[in-house]
Amino acid sequence: MTKDNRSRGPDSDTPGTDLKTERDEFLKKFSRGTQLTEDFVKEHERMQHRLQDLESENAGLRAKVEADQAVRELLKKIERLENEKSELVSQYRQAEQATTQFTARVQEVESEFANLANLFVASNQLHSSLSPRGVTRRIKEVLAQLVGAERYAMYLVNPEGEELIPIASEGVPGNQLLPVRIAGTRIGDVLRKGSASVADSDPSQGTFADPPAVIPLSVDDRVVGTIAIFSTLAQKNKFDQVDFELFKLLGQHAAQALVAASLFAQAEQKLPGLEAFLDLSV
Amino acid sequence: MAEYSCLIVEDSPMMRQLLVFALARVKNLRVTEADDGVDGLRKLASAKYDIIVTDINMPIMDGLKLVKRVRTDPVHKDTPIVIITTEGSQEDRQRALQLGANAYITKPIQAPQVIATVKELLKIE
Repeated sequence: MTKDNRSRGPDSDTPGTDLKTERDEFLKKFSRGTQLTEDFVKEHERMQHRLQDLESENAGLRAKVEADQAVRELLKKIERLENEKSELVSQYRQAEQATTQFTARVQEVESEFANLANLFVASNQLHSSLSPRGVTRRIKEVLAQLVGAERYAMYLVNPEGEELIPIASEGVPGNQLLPVRIAGTRIGDVLRKGSASVADSDPSQGTFADPPAVIPLSVDDRVVGTIAIFSTLAQKNKFDQVDFELFKLLGQHAAQALVAASLFAQAEQKLPGLEAFLDLSV
Repeated sequence: MAEYSCLIVEDSPMMRQLLVFALARVKNLRVTEADDGVDGLRKLASAKYDIIVTDINMPIMDGLKLVKRVRTDPVHKDTPIVIITTEGSQEDRQRALQLGANAYITKPIQAPQVIATVKELLKIE
């Protein structure tokens, strides 16, 4: 063994005190570095989690904002649709009202047409015969079929102008079918005044003493007779506007048709010669 | 659009004219007139009709006999028949319905009622 070896101490592998301290220092520092690194890694992980949480939260908030926006848009859309609906409902109501008015007008026109048809047919029928019997039959048909008269009589004034003589009737018993004095009777009054007398009461309940309708019959401006309606059919419980028009038509045309037919019968159905029309100054 | 034909059987010229006027308001309806039941049967034998409107009281052949005859006619046994009666003749009306008439109208006739009855039986809107 050498002197150098002896001066180095008991074990050459055992570090000296300084080295040991240095090593410990180093190990301590290394260990702290490791600790710091670990802490740093942990912190990093924590930060990453936090970032993820924040991103997730952010995404949630974003979604919420978007959802709120969608809700707002939906609300706006609902409002717009509500307005459209109100407008459509209003338009529908207007259309419905127009349809109701149109339907009422169509019914009115149809009814008007039916009334005009009745008047046309009555007028046409009254002048479609040139025999007194034929004209009388048609007058009776107008009364029965168009007016709905059940019991009625037609009178013409006698030449003395004092009495009305029954010339045609329906549903009137013989004992009621008598000449009627012009003075002091309702039927006579109509002849004198020249205007119809129509009661407001139910005409189906009329009586011989109090006929619900009496119509004057005129030829030109002369009143020559009357038609008295004593009662109507059960279902005819009031006179309508068209009945009043029919009364006017009968008043103006029935007697004229009857007079024309009588004159034609008296002339033995001979048409007047051409000379009868030459002085018409047309 | 389908065309329909109607036969009116009525002895009174005035009533016939009224019915023709009323039914002229029904679109695509062709109307033929007959004076009484016999004339009606003659016309039914020569053509096919979609509906018949007939009065009950007629000379020569009345509406009841006509309804009975029409229901035995193979061509018209199912043809709708409308009868025209007076309010008082309830028996005639019942008899006509029993014999096969489909509907009735009472006098004095109202054009809107005639139109509505015919349209209903022909199933026209």
